Amino acid sequence: MEKHMTVCPYCGSGCKLNLLVENNRVVGAEPLPGVTNEGELCLKGYYGWDFINDTRILTPRLKHPMIRRSRDKDFEVVSWDEAIAFAAGRLAEIKAKYGPDSIMLTGSSRGTGNESNFVMQKLARAVVGTNNVDCCARVCHGPSVSGLMVTLGNGAMSNSMNEIEDSKCILVFGYNAADSHPIVARRIIRAKEKGAKIIVCDPRHIETARISDMWLQLKNGSNMALVNAFANVLLNEGLYKADYVANYSEGFDEYKKIVSEYTPESVEEITGLSADQIREAMRMYAAAPSATILWGMGVTQWGQAVDVVKGLSSLAVLTGNLGRPNVGVGPVRGQNNVQGACDMGALPNVFPGYQSVTDAAVRAKFAKAWGVESLPDKIGLSITDVPHMVEEGKLKAFYCFGEDPAQTEPDLRLVREAFGKLDLMIVQDIFMTKTAMFADVILPATSWGEHDGVFSSADRGFQRFTKAVDAKGDVKHDWEIFGLMATALGYPMKYRDTREIWDELRELCPLYYGATYDKMDGLGYVQWPCTDLDSPGTRYLYEGNEFQRPGGKALLFASAWRPPLEKVDADYPLALCTVREVGHYSCRSMTGNCTALQTLADEPGFVTINPADAEQLGIKDQQLVWVESRRGKVIARASVTARTNKGAVYMTYQWWIGACNELTIHHVDPISKTPEYKFSAVRVEPIADQTWAEGHVQREYAALKAGLARAADKRPTAA
Amino acid sequence: MNRFIAATPAKCIGCRTCEVACVLAHANHCEGACALAEPNPAADRPSCLSFMPRLTVIKTETVSTVVNCHHCEDAPCANACPSGAIVYRKNSVQIDQDRCLGCKTCMMACPFGAMNVITVPGSRMFAGVAIATGRKAQAHKCDLCIDREGGPACVSVCPTKALRLVDRASMDETLRLRQERSVAALMASAAL
Repeated sequence: MEKHMTVCPYCGSGCKLNLLVENNRVVGAEPLPGVTNEGELCLKGYYGWDFINDTRILTPRLKHPMIRRSRDKDFEVVSWDEAIAFAAGRLAEIKAKYGPDSIMLTGSSRGTGNESNFVMQKLARAVVGTNNVDCCARVCHGPSVSGLMVTLGNGAMSNSMNEIEDSKCILVFGYNAADSHPIVARRIIRAKEKGAKIIVCDPRHIETARISDMWLQLKNGSNMALVNAFANVLLNEGLYKADYVANYSEGFDEYKKIVSEYTPESVEEITGLSADQIREAMRMYAAAPSATILWGMGVTQWGQAVDVVKGLSSLAVLTGNLGRPNVGVGPVRGQNNVQGACDMGALPNVFPGYQSVTDAAVRAKFAKAWGVESLPDKIGLSITDVPHMVEEGKLKAFYCFGEDPAQTEPDLRLVREAFGKLDLMIVQDIFMTKTAMFADVILPATSWGEHDGVFSSADRGFQRFTKAVDAKGDVKHDWEIFGLMATALGYPMKYRDTREIWDELRELCPLYYGATYDKMDGLGYVQWPCTDLDSPGTRYLYEGNEFQRPGGKALLFASAWRPPLEKVDADYPLALCTVREVGHYSCRSMTGNCTALQTLADEPGFVTINPADAEQLGIKDQQLVWVESRRGKVIARASVTARTNKGAVYMTYQWWIGACNELTIHHVDPISKTPEYKFSAVRVEPIADQTWAEGHVQREYAALKAGLARAADKRPTAA
Repeated sequence: MNRFIAATPAKCIGCRTCEVACVLAHANHCEGACALAEPNPAADRPSCLSFMPRLTVIKTETVSTVVNCHHCEDAPCANACPSGAIVYRKNSVQIDQDRCLGCKTCMMACPFGAMNVITVPGSRMFAGVAIATGRKAQAHKCDLCIDREGGPACVSVCPTKALRLVDRASMDETLRLRQERSVAALMASAAL
């Protein structure tokens, strides 16, 4: 049996593991003593690898390039030469006719790795000539990046995941570690065992709430009010560190003016919390010798998200919990390489290494390195701009790389309509997905397990992963495909291997310059910034309380609370909030093709509901129910649990039948453009004929699977 | 003393990694994806595609933990079994599946809800050939992965170390620590 070292392709914890291989087939996984996982894995790490072997449980692997000459035709298998010529020809046509900004590309935050993302954005910027590149950070931690960049100067976790367990107080805000990052949840448990105080702000009684010292069950949609009230308590009770604030921050007066209106009493109605609870929580947080704030999608997936991130970072500034070990601000990144996709510039406003596209000197540096005259200087579009930009006729081509927006974006009907109106849709993936069904060109790539590269874990840690098996079928590495596309578009681009790409980007990104492949050999873990070859990397940011802002000081920032856009009313009386479950990941194309994970949880997925709400609606646990919003209607299975708060229901977003994104609203944060997945008004209705409903789910599911399989299973025609 | 698996609710995050490990440790090889299962040549095992763990993660409003067989010293299931299918072996309570009728008396008897009765496709060997014999009932509960090298699979995968195998030695160790703590407490109160 061979063993091949890799990094888990699921959440951002960065767990090192070996893939066990027999006869060029993956047969198992075993944990390695990596820096973050220390020999532990969760169920996805242990049992989430057999999708590589094309199990066809949910959807088949793509094995040949395919094109569709018109939308009413079936896909046909073609050679790589033909597929690339077809795609590049169409792209060139669209670029000539409508300009480069009529084309949008995406990075992929998943198993492809940093190098492919780097090459993708190079293709977009240097060859197509647009900054219209984005990745799914937009729909998850986009606000954390936007917010922290402004207040502290760096969008990533300030401290390391390993430091969580040595923090003396952990303020968990809208973050369910047990479901999103079991290996981080482990650190929280260890912190508790070492005597840390745990404060949880979450409407649900999540796992961490069970072991918390204080659980603040705030109302859905009241984050900003609570964070402002927290600040109000710190200021009014003199719990903040005046010296620290005076020496290392700015904006205090304006900040104080805004938060002074948010007394704990004034937000009782909005938050559903007592003023005493709010005061007590801040006394506990401020009293700790070291305190860490962790947050997740409960903070970021709102119409008001960037403001809340800035507010949370201000709490850390007020209490001096930055710039040293075991403190800080922790937006724990969800996908295994969403940090990496951002690091590599799969964002519309920055080149790799967070270098602004509006900075002429930066543009000149990249233009020179890439041998082009100029690079685009206008900030590009976001993924969430796609539907209305297509609607307005400004976007004509979409090159979707390793993502499934037809499953993961809000208000899927809008997304489908937009995809249908595109002149050209290119999908580059390892699986036939719902998004790929809209494609004109499908480019099949190698999977995690079939290629090398570097991932960035949630705490800025670069780690290498290696190929375990040879890919089957006529597939290519993502970066090879981008190279072919660039070449066909008139910009010859050819890389030998990922190391060559990595070395090119190191030279261009001062933040990563010292993170060489050799340093990351084996279990090597290099956290950026790593600016020189002798540096081991940076465990925590802002050492010496120097912030990466002009002037070097942190910014205190507060903003007035805005309620969620959609209101519950008599017709739609419940708030739908979309969440994660531990056994499945993202759009489910990977975990849904893993035997063990798929048997653990399958269609149509659950809608969790409080027993009081369920009783009122006449709904019993495990029954199938209708969930309906102003935008759509789906079937899901009721899970009646007191852990869910009254007045709200929760669904996970990876199901095809119980597809909660048919229901979610397209309303975004004005700065980060992140959707408000956490609040859509819905109603839940019982289904009298459960036998029909069970049959309906199975029939619909089978039909969807068969449709995708038929599309993917085209065979090459004999030459 | 019979060994058993003890759970610490304060460490459990309800991730169900243990359940998956349990299913796979006892799964039979089946078509396709069963590269997953650990080598396990025994017949009459449920396929890994039917998800039937022998331990259960329970989440109430305030508790997440595993409910599992206690391997009782005077086991109600063994006492209740009319066919003598439940036996004590290797410091544990084990099922002799050949004798199991599927009468569910053990399920009724178990005060912990740790016993289940399932059916699997039955087969018997005749002249070296496996012949299908319809359905076979099985009493279904934790067997401590008795034939597995490395001990119980659930314990080995739990990412938060919420599960542990308790045997006589570790129980004695726990008792000794608690006795010492009692003595210390007594001495402290005597000193007051």
